[in-house]
Amino acid sequence: MDVQTSSTRRKILSHAICSILTECGFESCEKGALETLTEMLQSLLCEIGESARNYCELSGRTEILVADVLLALVNAGIRMDNMHLYGLRANRTLLPPLQQQTLTKQLNILQAGVKQNHPSHIPSHLPPLPDPHAYIRTPTHKQPVTEYEAIREKAATQKRDIERALTRFTAKTGKTHSLFLKDDNSMFPLIGCVPQFPSYLSALLPQDQIFDSDSDLEASPVKKKKEKEPENKSKDGNKEAGNNNQKDNVEQSEESNTQADVIDNPYLRPGKIPKNKLPHMSRANESGVLSF
Amino acid sequence: MKKERTADNSRPFKLAHQVVSLTGISFQRKSIIGMVELTIVPLRDTLRLIHLNAKQCRIYKVCLNESYEAPFQYFDPFLDISQGDDRQRSLEFFSNLHLAAAQKVDPDNNAGELLVQIPPDAAHLVEEGKNLRVGIEFSLEQPQGGVHFVVPNCPGTLAERGAHMYTYSYENSSRLWFPCVDSFAEPCTWKLEFTVDDAMTAVSCGDLVEVVYTPDMRKKTFHYVLNLPACAPNIALAVGPFEIFVDPYMHEVTHFCLPQLLPSLKVSAKYMHEAFEFYEETLSNRYPYSCYKQVFVDEIDEDINAYATMSILNTNLLHSTAIIDQVYITKKAMAQAVAEQFFGCFISMQNWSDTWLPKGISTYLTGLYAKKCFGNNEYREWIQSELREVVKYEERFGGIILDPSQPPAPLPVTANTPAPTPRIPDPGFYFPIRNLHTMSPRYIEVLRKKAHLVIRMLEHRIGQELLLQVFNKQLSLATNAAQQKIDSGLWSHMLISTNVFTKAIFTVTGKDMAVFIDQWVRTGGHAKFTLSFVFNRKRNTVELEIRQDITHQKGIRKYVGPLLVNIQELDGTFKHTLQIEGTVAKADITCHSKSRRNKKKKIPLCTGEEVDMDLSAMDDSPVLWIRLDPDMTLMRAVQIEQPDYQWQYQLRHERDVTAQLEAIEALQNHSTPATRLALTDTIENEHCYYKVRLRAAHCLTKVANAMVATWAGPPAMLAIFRKLFGSASCRRIIKQNNFTNFQHYFLQKTIPVAMAGLRNAHGICPPEVLSFLMDLFKYNDNSKNRYSDNYYRAALIEALGATVTPVISIQLGTAITAESLSIDTKAILEEVTRHLNLEKLLPCYKYTVSVVCLKVIRTLQKFGHLPSNPLLFREYASYGQFIDVRIAALTALVDFTKVDGKWEDLEFLLDMAENDPHPGVRHRLVRLMVENPPFERAHKHRLDKPELVNRIWNLINCMLSHDPKLRCDLVDLYYTLYGTKMPLCIPIPELAMLTKPKKVVPLPCSNNDELLIPMSHIKSEPINEPDINNVSVNKRKASPIKEESGISNVPEHGAEVKRQKQHHDDQRTNCNIDGKTKSEYYSDNSASLPGILGTGGPVGFEPGMFKKEPDDAKTKGDATNKPKKKKKDKKKHKHKHKHKHDHKHGKDKDKKDKDKGKDKDKEKDKDKDKETKDKEKDKDRNNKEKDQSGLLKVKEETLSSASSSPSPDASTVMSEFNFP
Repeated sequence: MDVQTSSTRRKILSHAICSILTECGFESCEKGALETLTEMLQSLLCEIGESARNYCELSGRTEILVADVLLALVNAGIRMDNMHLYGLRANRTLLPPLQQQTLTKQLNILQAGVKQNHPSHIPSHLPPLPDPHAYIRTPTHKQPVTEYEAIREKAATQKRDIERALTRFTAKTGKTHSLFLKDDNSMFPLIGCVPQFPSYLSALLPQDQIFDSDSDLEASPVKKKKEKEPENKSKDGNKEAGNNNQKDNVEQSEESNTQADVIDNPYLRPGKIPKNKLPHMSRANESGVLSF
Repeated sequence: MKKERTADNSRPFKLAHQVVSLTGISFQRKSIIGMVELTIVPLRDTLRLIHLNAKQCRIYKVCLNESYEAPFQYFDPFLDISQGDDRQRSLEFFSNLHLAAAQKVDPDNNAGELLVQIPPDAAHLVEEGKNLRVGIEFSLEQPQGGVHFVVPNCPGTLAERGAHMYTYSYENSSRLWFPCVDSFAEPCTWKLEFTVDDAMTAVSCGDLVEVVYTPDMRKKTFHYVLNLPACAPNIALAVGPFEIFVDPYMHEVTHFCLPQLLPSLKVSAKYMHEAFEFYEETLSNRYPYSCYKQVFVDEIDEDINAYATMSILNTNLLHSTAIIDQVYITKKAMAQAVAEQFFGCFISMQNWSDTWLPKGISTYLTGLYAKKCFGNNEYREWIQSELREVVKYEERFGGIILDPSQPPAPLPVTANTPAPTPRIPDPGFYFPIRNLHTMSPRYIEVLRKKAHLVIRMLEHRIGQELLLQVFNKQLSLATNAAQQKIDSGLWSHMLISTNVFTKAIFTVTGKDMAVFIDQWVRTGGHAKFTLSFVFNRKRNTVELEIRQDITHQKGIRKYVGPLLVNIQELDGTFKHTLQIEGTVAKADITCHSKSRRNKKKKIPLCTGEEVDMDLSAMDDSPVLWIRLDPDMTLMRAVQIEQPDYQWQYQLRHERDVTAQLEAIEALQNHSTPATRLALTDTIENEHCYYKVRLRAAHCLTKVANAMVATWAGPPAMLAIFRKLFGSASCRRIIKQNNFTNFQHYFLQKTIPVAMAGLRNAHGICPPEVLSFLMDLFKYNDNSKNRYSDNYYRAALIEALGATVTPVISIQLGTAITAESLSIDTKAILEEVTRHLNLEKLLPCYKYTVSVVCLKVIRTLQKFGHLPSNPLLFREYASYGQFIDVRIAALTALVDFTKVDGKWEDLEFLLDMAENDPHPGVRHRLVRLMVENPPFERAHKHRLDKPELVNRIWNLINCMLSHDPKLRCDLVDLYYTLYGTKMPLCIPIPELAMLTKPKKVVPLPCSNNDELLIPMSHIKSEPINEPDINNVSVNKRKASPIKEESGISNVPEHGAEVKRQKQHHDDQRTNCNIDGKTKSEYYSDNSASLPGILGTGGPVGFEPGMFKKEPDDAKTKGDATNKPKKKKKDKKKHKHKHKHKHDHKHGKDKDKKDKDKGKDKDKEKDKDKDKETKDKEKDKDRNNKEKDQSGLLKVKEETLSSASSSPSPDASTVMSEFNFP
């Protein structure tokens, strides 16, 4: 922004310089000279402004009066006798009025929504409110379609497209079968089938969908048992519903413990080590340790 | 009472105990080494011969009481059933020999493949009257049947790959994996030991006592003890890296499954304990054994195989929670396996012919459990479908006699009918029904169903409670007997037989069911009734007429006795029991209701309910509908003639689902708007049993098609479907799937298929139906569903297939391309290919979608939309695809072969039927070919070639001694193709000589022989291993081209050995080879076993080697290869036998080899001679010889395993073997 305004200012200053030069009879000038003159004019004006403000503040004010400017001019050693006349000279050129739109236009680029005016309690000198989206929830997307039919339609098309693209891709990258006698297989490519071993695994562990119901299943044998036991104490259980959960947990763990204890299935027992092997084994182990 | 000769007393000894110890189970070599020890109690002092059963085993040594070595003979008649008599190629001829062969080794006949002689110096063992222990050391190399090794072809260790093995049986076939008395009537106690890899578990019968590591810690030995007597066919073994799941409810029950399937196992076995509880409660008897194991294995033929204390089940029964359809099957299968523990395993049978009892009773018990689980409707529907199936089978093939061992008693003279001497009408089967190993597998299947129905009939006769008491009595007796020692002689109580059972019924109920048994068990066939009636208005009676017009057709016989008729009148249901005597029975039944007086009254039904009916359709008779034998208490087929509105009333208002189903069937032929309405209402009726609704949907399709000219409105069922399944805001779009209501689920699956069968006036599927189906595909959304939609998707694709009609215009000469397809076909194909492709990436449960995709592709081919092409199906049929997919592909291939198959396609199928590693596929494939034969009998067809006859004949005759099921399947196929007579395509030899042009077969130069001889010795070594390869080549034999090469091969024996893999055409060569190969066969393993003698010599004889030469061949003295070869064989074998003695006593194989060398030289000479003569022979003679040679071809594996060496006829040959 700063750069922009200063460049605008400079532009106007250089316009002023140019018109003065034209008044003076120059028809053209070097760019460097013009820049130098503009620079000089700018520093002069800044200097005057600066010192005018100093005078103004010196006299305990905040707003600069004409007298302050005059003082500054005088202090800078500039004579003002014929300044008035110079300003009213006949052949002066009038600069075009400043174009403010350029500035506002640039602001508008990022504007979203209508800027709000200051509410009454906010002094107007404070900067204007930012765009409303910065502090108000604004819809930044289109309202989704809630019509059932369209959604289903869309979902269906999407699914089909994905599937088709996927299968086509795989068909193009691998072995294919042809349904036709010719080799032209572009319309209905069939992905070649590859024997798998063991062949039952992929069939019995299907991957077409993922169901999360397995978890409740695993728990079910325990649950069922749980049901049986609480039946006896169901009355108590109902009363202290709060404790129930804890109880259950305890029961569960207990049960799994007891289950593990109770199950005496020969297939779960470890294999026996042959008698003649036992001492030999330990010796072997020892020697192994020793050698290490 | 005269003691009848039964299977359990046919042997001169009893079996008390048997030890089976398998020490070397090798997955790499697919071999087993082990020993058995049978403890027998001689019943006679003179016992000198012990017949045992053993097949495909190689027996090293037989020892008595560990001290005396006994000589033995081995003889398997199935290695060459026709005994070289190959002129006749008819089944009527084969049947007799087949039966003779089976009986020659039938343990119930005191026979067996293995004959152990008690040497004189051991005779005192018998005379002492003590138990005699017979120890047998044996091995199995690459067994072809009875034992199956599954070794997936993928990287990883055996355990990681899920390699496993198990035994499987077809009725009694334990002999395929260990020597035993393979009878259902010889129970004994067992000690079983199996040494397996550390990572493996061996599951077998009885209690696992302990598991002990071998000294090297690499293997474990599983020790099992079965203290309750069980017969050998009920012993099994499964070894694999199983995941173990102890049943959380019953810790005695252990489930085993293959790696990674544990979650599914837990789901599938969740309710197993309920079956146990149910049976124990129903039978008021405890489960007889102390434990139960169920093992799920791959590549098994049948879904369940029950053995004592364990069952081996198909791994494909497992399912996850998301699956619906499979649950019914799995639950029932497991329940069946448990029921067979009670009847079948614990209680065995006295004769094989009593097999109907355990089969019937266990299925009956399963039925009771299924009734409890799935409801009465399901049960009745099941019974009805079983009855239908039995009726259908019997009408096609003949009446099934459940127990053929004894003819029915003659009718008492006092009976009203002038009793003619009862003759058993020949049931007219093309296979012998007097042995389990010769019956068609389909026959046994249907026999089980019939047995079930007969037990259920009994339930109706004596009441369920009493029937269960009979079972209870049998179980109690058996339990008691099982606790005793063998000396008590009570073990026979563990056997059930028709007579024992009849007696038990009498004891328990006081009712003599002998007549019933004679009528339904000892006589085959069913009754067939036709009922018609007229209402007589004046007398207010119904004049019924029940006819049995056809009583002499196959499977049908006259029924005499009571018959229940239900008449639904306006005033209620009235039951009338009519006595049927003649072929026409008439009865006038007075109606209870005055016709249509009181219109407003509600009408009572048989259940006691009262309902409103719209009676406007009725005429003035008060009869609403009539039913015959409504409870299915007879084996019968019923045809009722009544007007369509009565059927409609029956469908709408009769409460019995079987009546509703009958009504639906009848309404197919009454296409009227009223029928349409009745069917539509049924489909929509939520109170109706779902299967009735499904059937109604299919029926409506037919009705709508018949009414196409007058049909108004949208296609049938469209509105119903949209109402049920359309989404609320937009009927056109189907709801997201939610299958929690199973009835709706099944409807949702079925209605699209039914609708797809609709046709418009042009005979094609209406376009709106097709677009309706396309929408179903498009909007199918299963994301919120708890259940998998794989079956639903499959149903949709099936529906697409059902819309396809034959292509209208065929542009001749132009190939069908993707562009030339019609728009509809393109759309269908698009869906099919997309789903099939998607299955490669995201396979669904059991590849149900792929299965139907293949089916639809075949339909499209068949109807001319796609070019017929078998290549795709061949890929899908290959080993390594999932079994269901393979079967689907094979179905398509069989169909293809029928429609436009070439010889090559048929050969492909036969090759697969012969050589596929999956036993189930072999069996199923042949069944498929039986159901859909490549050509019709006696219609000229390009595939009807002599080669085919030879090939199948050769298979059934001598290639399948190890697989009775497949053999009988092929007999079925042979029958389907050729009937029981000589196949027409086989030229009559005499005529053929004259008519056929000569064709001289070029012979290879005879120098080859010399060159190759030395090689034969060297090369013979490695050949032994790949038996399978050898076999696989046999198939080629049948093709004419190969034939020639076959002939040309004959002379060069040296070459033969080398080329064995390529040309195995000749039995003769086989014989020679196996003589050689034998010597190598045992090389690795045998060293480790004590007492293995040098060669295979002592084990037995070659098949067919002692065959009598066909007389004509001899007399003609022509130079056919055959007879000479045979002679030579004979000589060779004589040699062998001379040496046998030596071998036994530890001579090494060098000598044997020398002999062989000699033999070979001789052969060579002969061959040369022959060759020269051969040249002169006509082509047809060659052909003939080929046939013969085909006949003589003998199963390779068995031969090379050297254990099997049948002599053609035990009796005639016996004299040739003189054992020391």
